[in-house]
Amino acid sequence: MSIIILLIAIIVLLLFIPRIGFMKKYRKGDSKGDRIIVEDALKHLYDFESKKIDATQDSVAGNLQIKRGYSASLIERLLQLNLITKVHEKISLTEKGRNYALKVIRIHRLYERYLAEKTSVHENDWHKEAEKREHDFDDEDIHKLAASLGNPFLDPHGDPIPDASGKMLIKEGIVLSEAVVGKVYEITHIEDEPKETYAQIIAQKLFHGAKLKILEKDDLRISFESDNNESILAPVLASNITVMAREDEAGEFGVNRLLSCLNQGESSRIKEISKAIRGLQRRRLLDFGFVPGTEIKANLVGLGGDPVAYEVRGTVVALRKNISQHIYIE
Amino acid sequence: MNKKEEILDLANKYRWEIGENFHDAIIESIYKEANEISSVAVSKDTEKPKFDWDRTLDRLVTSRTFGLPLMLVMLAVVFWITIQGANIPSGLLANVLVDYMHPLIRYAFINLSIPMWITGLIVDGAYLAMAWVIAVMLPPMAIFFPMFTLLEDFGYLPRVAFNLDNIYRRVGAHGKQALTMSMGFGCNAAGIIATRIIDSPRERLIAIITNNFSLCNGRWPTQILIATIFIGGAVPAYLAGIVSAAAVVFIAVLGIFFSLVVSWGLSKTVLKGEASSFTLELPPYRPPRFLQTLYTSLIDRTLFVLWRAVVFAVPAGIVIWLVANITYDGISIAEYFINWTDPFALFLGLNGVIILAYVIAIPANEIVIPTVLMLTVLVSGMTGGSGAGVMFELESVNDTAMILHNGGWSLLTGINLMLFSLLHNPCSTTIYTIYKETKSIKWTLISTLLPVAMGIIICLITAQIYWLIF
Repeated sequence: MSIIILLIAIIVLLLFIPRIGFMKKYRKGDSKGDRIIVEDALKHLYDFESKKIDATQDSVAGNLQIKRGYSASLIERLLQLNLITKVHEKISLTEKGRNYALKVIRIHRLYERYLAEKTSVHENDWHKEAEKREHDFDDEDIHKLAASLGNPFLDPHGDPIPDASGKMLIKEGIVLSEAVVGKVYEITHIEDEPKETYAQIIAQKLFHGAKLKILEKDDLRISFESDNNESILAPVLASNITVMAREDEAGEFGVNRLLSCLNQGESSRIKEISKAIRGLQRRRLLDFGFVPGTEIKANLVGLGGDPVAYEVRGTVVALRKNISQHIYIE
Repeated sequence: MNKKEEILDLANKYRWEIGENFHDAIIESIYKEANEISSVAVSKDTEKPKFDWDRTLDRLVTSRTFGLPLMLVMLAVVFWITIQGANIPSGLLANVLVDYMHPLIRYAFINLSIPMWITGLIVDGAYLAMAWVIAVMLPPMAIFFPMFTLLEDFGYLPRVAFNLDNIYRRVGAHGKQALTMSMGFGCNAAGIIATRIIDSPRERLIAIITNNFSLCNGRWPTQILIATIFIGGAVPAYLAGIVSAAAVVFIAVLGIFFSLVVSWGLSKTVLKGEASSFTLELPPYRPPRFLQTLYTSLIDRTLFVLWRAVVFAVPAGIVIWLVANITYDGISIAEYFINWTDPFALFLGLNGVIILAYVIAIPANEIVIPTVLMLTVLVSGMTGGSGAGVMFELESVNDTAMILHNGGWSLLTGINLMLFSLLHNPCSTTIYTIYKETKSIKWTLISTLLPVAMGIIICLITAQIYWLIF
């Protein structure tokens, strides 16, 4: 008797302790798997099309990591659905196929934007999470998600988000490896694939919207100062970053002083809240009046040096170091 | 249709040109304008006061040397006043509601020749459960919450959050969780309502889920009674007092430890992705408004929670009376259930009586001990108590100990009951409050089942270790 009860208890534990997510994992049925593979194939074809590379049965198999035979039957299915055309070996998207691909891209980028603005999922995981969820949305869900984010134009990496009809607005720019020494640029796009490269770039405290000034450049490295850091990147990595010239910032550019460096009793003025602070946290700071030009004073230092209480506009607000190091002061 | 699209296109074009910074720009311009208006319209007292009270006090209460000791002293004083102050009114209420009113109402019912089972159901079940909850719960809450609110009103509590934030940051939580946790020592439901002060969604959920690890006011009496009987009884008489007190404190500290560990675990796993932000405002000190505070904390916290507890306790009382009185083949449902769960419960170092008591006393932790005593007497067929389904407590600790020892309780049962009393599902008032505050069945289920699962595991481990040693 007691063994049965113990078994039941263990089953209940298994179901609930890994907190529902455990059950979620097994939700993906076969019909869903079908949708995923079709959509992934379309994304790959669109990617090649925009890079002007010819897609073939092999490229599909290679990109989706499926067997050649399966890839052949997948292409057969896409042809039946009228999503692609095939002339000799070359596969191209039909109008319908392209629109479908753009819709998946729209969901993916909107979802990344959602993760960046409304959750605290780490930026290393945005792409992975969006890759998982991009197949779960229907038209109404997409519309709601876009509306709740204020119909944004760009995803957090700076990629354009196609609108409901598939149009997207693209910012002009050059790759960082072609930037000129001595000039000031703003990062307009960071390529989020492959994952390892992306992780290396963000480890340099670079993000979409960050400004930087090129210091030196040769075949092996590009060194530059950004608004919070000095960094060196290999040209291979730098070619994953797109930048836009910012002549207007050239005069006064330099590595910023951070609020976290303010000693107890010292005061200064806020220059800017870094773009690395997004969503809820950014709004909270703005609500408290952390806007450029505001006088700020480090008032009390907590036990162990963190958090620090700052006096702003007659109120005392404590901030943790991971936030105060993203606020620039004069 | 065409016109609409034209307008939308134009709007999008402008939005593209303005860029994504316009939210910041709007807020900046609002502040700028407000500044301009206030510089013209508001005159400021430019003379600096000779002595800045706020700064001096802040320096003192957040200082490295005095900050933490001061906090502990304050907390100890609040608890001491609560315990000392609640004793007398609690005893008085128990006297009036249980010892005096209960027989009186019962007598009235019998005289009106109302059927026995209705009398049992309403008077012995519903009324008695309600009376118990009010007697145990009302006085400490009516003392604890106003004191807490006064400290909050004065401005001291945000400084405590500031001092402790360092610890809470390490486990992925908010410094204010220290406050909601302390509030949980009074009542978990009130502690969960208090998490509204945490404005970051993720940290708030962590605070809600871990609040149950604060040993609430309804569980302290159980801890003290069981520690006195079993832990105090296991050591020489001259050590009994201090050792049993230490055991209760140990359980409370264990609860704080679990709340930190679970916070850390939650922030690293299920709650990893929830939105999070951190700001902690330190408002200026001001003299507390006594009457207003007294009124709001009585209405908002004490009566609110008490009312919910009563609403849930009444049906619980009815169920308790029913399971003890509905019989099949001369054996009550309670006994069937106890016999059925006994093997599993004994394996955990508990017993079937405790399991049943915790199942039917989900609505209120206050009635666990009265239910346990009633059930023990019922099952073992001892004389004593007040009849099947009538909860009771005894004046003398020795008599209680005798009943429990006769019911087959050992030192292990005592230890594990203390652990299980710390680590089990929150009471139904709290569960309902969690649902009201989170509006999510998922988080309610997690907050309910996680502590039970932990309780079962901890009891199991303790039992195994105990059997290895003894």
